[in-house]
Amino acid sequence: MAELHIIGQIVGASGFPRSSLFCKWGVHTGGAWHLLSGLREGQTQVDCPQASDTAFWSHPIDLHYATKGLQGWPKLHLQVWHQDSFGRCELFGYGYCHVPSSPGHHRLRCVTWRPLGSWQEQLAQMFVGGGPQLRSPDVIYTGADRYRLHTVAMGTVELELGIILRHFDKHGVES
Amino acid sequence: MASSDLREKMRKKRRALQETLGRVREDADTQVLVATDWEMSKDGERTAVQEPSGSEEQQVATLKQTLKAQRMKRRKKLVEDTPAETPPEAATGASEVERGPRAGESRTPVAAASSSRRSPRDLPPLPASSTLTLSEGPMKRRMVEKLKAARSKAESLLQQEALAEPASRLQGLRDRDPLTRFDTEADLGVRRRDDGAAPLVGRVTFREVAHRGWRRAEVDSGLPTAEEAYNFFTFNFDPEPLEEAAEQKKERRFVEDRGVEEEEEEGGGGGEEEAQVEDGGEGESGSEEEDKEEDAEGRSEGAPLVEDQQGELFIDETAQDFLEVKKAEYLGYHSRVQRESEVLFTPSLRTVPTSCKVPENMQPRYLEEEGLYVGERPPVSLANQNILENRILQQDEAKKWFGDDGRVLALTDPIKQSSTRPPLFNLEEDLDPALQTVYRKALKTRHASRYVAGLGETAGRCQLDVDVSGLIFSHHPLFSREHVLGVRLVQLYDQHLNRQHRNITGLLTDKLHGLRNAVRNITDLHGDRGLNVVMRQRIAEYRLEVRNTRRLRDVEQEKDRTLLKSTLKVWKEMKALREFQRFTNTAYKLHLRKQEVNQSRDEQDFEEEIQMELVELQGELEEEYQRKISQYRQQLEEWKAWRKKQKVSSKKKKKKKKKKEPNEGDKDDEDEDEQEEKDLGSEPPKPEPPERQELSLLEQQVREKAARIRRKPGEPILVPEVTLSGNITPNEQCPRGEFARREDVARRSLFVKVLYNDKEVSRTDRRPLGADFRVHFGQIFNLKIANWPESVRLQVFEASGSSSALLAEVFVPLPESTVLTGSAPPQELEFSSSQRVTFNHEGVGSDVPFSFEADGSNKLTLLTSGKLSCCVSWAVGENDIPLAPPTSQTPGGIHGALRQTDAIACIGASGLSDMKRLSKWAAESRLDPNDPSNVVLMQLLTVASSGEVQVPDYFRLEQLQEEFNFVTDEELQKSRRFRLLTLRSQEVVEFRNYKNVPAVEREVSEKVFQDYEKRLRDGEVVDTKEHLDPHRAVVAKYLKKIRESVMNRFLIAKHHFLLSDLVQEDEVPSIGVLGLNIFKLAEPKRPLKPRRKERKKVTAQNLADGNIKLLVNIIRAYDIPVRKPHPSKPAVASKSARSFTEAFVAAQSSQSALHGNDWPLNQVQVRPFVEVTFQRSVRQTTTADGPNPCWNEELELPFSAPNGDYSTSSLQSVKDEVFINIFDEMTFDITEDDRERGSTVHTRIEKHWLGSVKIPFSTIYLQSRIDGTFKVQSPPVLLGYSKERSLAGEGGYDSVLSLSEGSFVTLFITIQPQLIPGESVREKMKEMKFDSQEDERLLHAAEAFQRDAALRFPGRPCLTTVIDISGKAVFITRYVRPLSPPQELLDAFPNSPQEATELVARYVSLIPSLPDSVSFTSICDLWSTSDQFLALLAGDEEEHAVLLCCYFLAMGKKAWLIIGTAIPEGPTAYVLTYEQGRYLIWDPGRGQYYGQYDTFCPLQSVGCLINADNVWFNTQVYDAPMRMGFDVSRSKLWKPFFSRAFPNPGLSSVQPEELVYRRVDKVAAAELQDRIEKVLKEKIMEWRPRHPTRWNRYCTSTLRHFLPKLEQSRGRDVGDEHRLELQSMLGDYRISGFPLNVPFSELQPIVEAVYSTGVHNVEVSNVEFALAVYVHPYASNVLSVWVYLASLVRTR
Repeated sequence: MAELHIIGQIVGASGFPRSSLFCKWGVHTGGAWHLLSGLREGQTQVDCPQASDTAFWSHPIDLHYATKGLQGWPKLHLQVWHQDSFGRCELFGYGYCHVPSSPGHHRLRCVTWRPLGSWQEQLAQMFVGGGPQLRSPDVIYTGADRYRLHTVAMGTVELELGIILRHFDKHGVES
Repeated sequence: MASSDLREKMRKKRRALQETLGRVREDADTQVLVATDWEMSKDGERTAVQEPSGSEEQQVATLKQTLKAQRMKRRKKLVEDTPAETPPEAATGASEVERGPRAGESRTPVAAASSSRRSPRDLPPLPASSTLTLSEGPMKRRMVEKLKAARSKAESLLQQEALAEPASRLQGLRDRDPLTRFDTEADLGVRRRDDGAAPLVGRVTFREVAHRGWRRAEVDSGLPTAEEAYNFFTFNFDPEPLEEAAEQKKERRFVEDRGVEEEEEEGGGGGEEEAQVEDGGEGESGSEEEDKEEDAEGRSEGAPLVEDQQGELFIDETAQDFLEVKKAEYLGYHSRVQRESEVLFTPSLRTVPTSCKVPENMQPRYLEEEGLYVGERPPVSLANQNILENRILQQDEAKKWFGDDGRVLALTDPIKQSSTRPPLFNLEEDLDPALQTVYRKALKTRHASRYVAGLGETAGRCQLDVDVSGLIFSHHPLFSREHVLGVRLVQLYDQHLNRQHRNITGLLTDKLHGLRNAVRNITDLHGDRGLNVVMRQRIAEYRLEVRNTRRLRDVEQEKDRTLLKSTLKVWKEMKALREFQRFTNTAYKLHLRKQEVNQSRDEQDFEEEIQMELVELQGELEEEYQRKISQYRQQLEEWKAWRKKQKVSSKKKKKKKKKKEPNEGDKDDEDEDEQEEKDLGSEPPKPEPPERQELSLLEQQVREKAARIRRKPGEPILVPEVTLSGNITPNEQCPRGEFARREDVARRSLFVKVLYNDKEVSRTDRRPLGADFRVHFGQIFNLKIANWPESVRLQVFEASGSSSALLAEVFVPLPESTVLTGSAPPQELEFSSSQRVTFNHEGVGSDVPFSFEADGSNKLTLLTSGKLSCCVSWAVGENDIPLAPPTSQTPGGIHGALRQTDAIACIGASGLSDMKRLSKWAAESRLDPNDPSNVVLMQLLTVASSGEVQVPDYFRLEQLQEEFNFVTDEELQKSRRFRLLTLRSQEVVEFRNYKNVPAVEREVSEKVFQDYEKRLRDGEVVDTKEHLDPHRAVVAKYLKKIRESVMNRFLIAKHHFLLSDLVQEDEVPSIGVLGLNIFKLAEPKRPLKPRRKERKKVTAQNLADGNIKLLVNIIRAYDIPVRKPHPSKPAVASKSARSFTEAFVAAQSSQSALHGNDWPLNQVQVRPFVEVTFQRSVRQTTTADGPNPCWNEELELPFSAPNGDYSTSSLQSVKDEVFINIFDEMTFDITEDDRERGSTVHTRIEKHWLGSVKIPFSTIYLQSRIDGTFKVQSPPVLLGYSKERSLAGEGGYDSVLSLSEGSFVTLFITIQPQLIPGESVREKMKEMKFDSQEDERLLHAAEAFQRDAALRFPGRPCLTTVIDISGKAVFITRYVRPLSPPQELLDAFPNSPQEATELVARYVSLIPSLPDSVSFTSICDLWSTSDQFLALLAGDEEEHAVLLCCYFLAMGKKAWLIIGTAIPEGPTAYVLTYEQGRYLIWDPGRGQYYGQYDTFCPLQSVGCLINADNVWFNTQVYDAPMRMGFDVSRSKLWKPFFSRAFPNPGLSSVQPEELVYRRVDKVAAAELQDRIEKVLKEKIMEWRPRHPTRWNRYCTSTLRHFLPKLEQSRGRDVGDEHRLELQSMLGDYRISGFPLNVPFSELQPIVEAVYSTGVHNVEVSNVEFALAVYVHPYASNVLSVWVYLASLVRTR
């Protein structure tokens, strides 16, 4: 019966090789969690920053969960995409972070990575864009077998999340 | 001699010395150079040098000092440099030398040092004793020379250096120096120190040292080393000798003298060597002089100190006082160790005995030995462990660190043994498919309707392989009779083979035998007595099983038998047929193979079987009997008990009634109680004893059955075999019919189209239909898939010649994503077609009855059918990657699997589901069964390996979730608050605008959900109360359902946003626009003709209650009915109705003549005002005068959206209407007292309704403004008013005006602020492609046509395809088809076609209108066919128009559908007819018609005309009906869709062939009439809460009689007569009233209409009301409702 509010925003991303980014995001929870209201996935606009290399989205996240257990605490998975001057989109990074479990305001920095691909693919990417993507994006938040991947670190996505817990103390979860 | 010898020697020595000196000098030079270099670099470290003398702030102040100190140091360096070459011991000595002069330390070390300071290169010191006496003079001289040279050289060097120093800076600094505070301070400090006279001593000492150097040099070798010499001379502690030299000349002289004295004094103390030097060195004097000068300089500093004259000078020295250089402190290693050992504890390396570690008197306990799981510890070296243990043991509570086994407690090793990332050599190959990355090109997003959840990523990567291998007809129209039989034979044979293959009968027989044996064994083994309960139980079970098996076997046997029989029968028929027709068509042949059997054995078996069965049956029956008997006994007992009770009670009642029951039971069981049975109401039936079944009967039954279903004993076993070995009669020998058939067959060919998601993707080649009706295609189609697969269809086409026809459609089930090409089994899909085909040759046709019998009995009707064998599977790409779309895999699956990462790493994720591999892995890896991390796995394995426990079918995701749940699911579900929140977020209608949800559970009341639950519950139940008519209720439900389904269909489109939906952006003015604006500036200004400007649009989301206003601008009205003079005067005269009528008619006619004269003069014609009612708020204009008033007023009405929801969809579905009512304001003088007339005015104002205009809000919203002149809907009869047409005078305009009847009002209505209408959705719908069954080519043409039209005439509506009610695009002409109207309408006016036409139009207009935008919120225009329209009894203009057009066509008129715009509806559909040389425009919604040149025709523009054959687009310059021609044959004016280039393919109509009308239901109408009347009366009373409402019954009944007449005449031409009638009856009353006519849909609109007339507002005390309702039924439940409403005021 405990409730969790996640209210915040995806502020933006920085440190990516190119600007003009957008972000697809989603929240993954375990089976014990019920979404009462809010959208659990979405996509931001494409931001082409003029001044610095930080893309600002200020994309709101507002979720209200009810849960019957702690398992599967919500985690946020992100995919940062780049839209080039031709309007084509290519993947720039996968990332995921846990939604903080302590109440209050949190600033999160979610670092991202991207599959590297073979050298041919890298070469192709350099000239014609595109790039390797995960076949099953589940891998973003499930770690099994990920060690087989070669990845490159990409930039960071900055999030600001406000967490409100309710009735967790009733069930012996101190916050 | 000796002296000469000595001299010789000396010379030699001198020479040697000279050499060395020269060498040394060079050496020194280089050293100096080196030193300076070093010094320069040292400059950088000035601060470090300064530090002792001052802090950094004083840096500047002390700079001078520092420089001096440096200079000094530099000189010192020369000293130091030399020792640098000496061993380190000497270095200490050297430092002491430096220090010596300052600290005044002992001199002895100096001597020692100086001796030891000699560089290795130096000559070894000569023995002093041998040389001293003899050769002092020349040697000395030489030495002095050398020294001089050395010194001069050094000096010059120094000077150079001094010059090299930045003099100016020095100068500046020096000038400033005295001013600084530090200086004075330093001076003070210096002075203080000087008191101790140490520096002086130092100075003196230095000199002494110098002297001693000399002395020693002489003592030691007679020669000073070059270094010493140099040092001596250059070691100057005075940094500023040159500057002060001049000043101190005089002093120096004096000091010199003194210095000499002192020198001498001290020198005297020194010893004789000095004296020798003095004495023997006359030549030296020069050098001595210099030497002295040096000394003097040194002393000149010392001297003033003594004399305390010049403070500055001391600074030079004092720098040394701040610094103290100390030796590095050092403590010996051993002592340190010793000291430390007192403090520190060093644990030993030795192993601690176990006894120390476990508690006393305990043996260590090893858990491993006891079989408990102990994890592996992390490896720690033994030494470290020992150290740790030793250390811990020293601690308090040391024992608690040790476990029972005497080892330090430790967790198991958390580090994996194997590396998590095993080396991957070939990355590409063994990568888990889940992890593979795909190189994806940077692609533009294709945002068509590709909203496919989950697919997005892999779109285009899927491939579906459709393998169409072939098809076999099981019936085809071209089958001959023989074929029919042949197919049947084959089918039966197949069935037979199938059964044989499965051999169920055999299996069951075997089972039966087995079971019987088992029973027999048990009984044999144990006999009868030894049976315990368990055994008995088992036997019973066996018996039951035997019984079941036997029954099953019998059934199967019977089937076998019948199959065989029917096979034979068919074969016989076939043979007969072949014989009869004398040719053979098929190659089928049936052979029967006989298997002989042993007769006697067979018989024995048969008999045995029967006996066996008999025995069993007997046993069963016996059992049954026993059971029944016991049941019977029990019942009997109960019955008896009941009867006893009954008897007791009946005795108490004195045995009221007694009656003997006939004795019917068994005598033995019944006893005398039976006699007293009573017949009472609740008596349980007396049980009957069961009967035993006859044994003989049983046997007979068994035998009969056996004969029926089993092979008779001795009969051979027949095995049928169908072969294709028969001969087919060649064509030439066939009769003509058959020949024709075969010809036909040969002509036919078949092909299969593959449709994916209803789009044809490919088709097979044509294959001829073989004589055996099998077609082999064997083609595989690879479909690359971008869209989510919805359906795969195969269409079988049959082609003969060039034409082809669709034979059948087969839907192929979509394969699971695991079904891959290669492994997928081919499927046989049956298809059939209901097409009727007949032939005149031998082919039997399809859907045609035929018979095999000669007499034609036993007819068969076969439909074309067959089997298509195909296979649809997902392709396998390279590297065996399935190209299937991802299954919606729950991520939890991976989650759960994660627990066994090891296992996954070992055997892969897929192996987890494979139990064998898993257990194998477990065995191989020797899992520790006690390891807690393996619990899950072990459990799984035990479950799997032991067969007893079933592996659960379900898969639990989070296994441990249950244990950690806070609450159960039910509780979570129960939470009202959560439910409310969820419902709100789901936008369920009831909760969509629920603003605040309580934070606490208990604050959410249960009532909140009542409505919602009720709605859910009532979803199916039709509520007849709300709707007066049950049929309407059903329709309403149906409408709702359609709406929901349509909503779902378009949900995707709603989520598809265009940029303009999200970004509101003002257009950047282009050059053209700017230019136009400039021209506008030049335009003449017309301030008196203001124009309306475009306002800024507001999106709906920023709105709130009260923000929106409806602006209604009432401009003017024409032709308002005028008052009739109150007939009070003639009424007096009237006595009889008859005469009155006549008189009145006469009077009226004369009256109209009179009007011109006296009316305008003496009486107000009418004083109209307009009242606007919207959402129950009312605004009115001022009152104007006359029948053509001009108000020009703006009224503001507030608007509130339903539920406060201002979203576009919600606004569009607002059903409210704006009522614009025109009233006449009447004033009555009610001043009762004539005397007051002069002073008071006492009047009563009454308003009389004259007419109204209704405009739905949705229209206003969608069009954003409504501007125009509207016809006022006025009642056919207005009591007390008349139309005065000719009154307005004469003139051209008037004549036009007079063509139209009724009044008109000019309005402008808009919404403030301007809302963006939901057109965006409509626009989007245009972009969206609908499913369509139309031909692709047609659709393309339609699109092109529309695009072209929009390009040439933007804004002119052009429709080619419309969306039908199931959401499919349909070509528009399919809607037009002649449909006959209800017969009674045609019969009504048999000889007047005009009348009939109008009646038909009226009928159509009586079907209630419901805009699509209201019913299908913001989705699109849906066109329903006419039968749907009549069933729904609701539709918008298009449906009305279509129906009317169809009726007109059926009535033989030339009719078209007009697509155009009208006011106030906006885009709409009208009907155009061509009659008697002129065009009439029909408004289908109102049932009125207008001529082409009618001014007040609401149709504003015409976009296109449509009839059943074609669509014409208006290509004329003007689109107003008045200014255009309607002759569609003129290609200049109209552009046809179907032309010669693209002829009409003969589109069939979507309309039904004929409409079926329901009968007129008069009873229901009457009932409805009563109900409406009742409701209205109640409502009127409700609206007049403060006044009594009286009903005038007499008037009501009169009105009621009158209403049917109105309906008959359709509300025309009865006014006067009726009025007179009324007038005559109610002469004493002033009546105002009118009949209203509305089509019936629901009650609410009627109530609303009545309310808007405001009749109830009359507040005169003596007012009476009359209300009559008449419902006229038409066919198909179309009802015309008339409400006659009148208010009566008694005039006297």
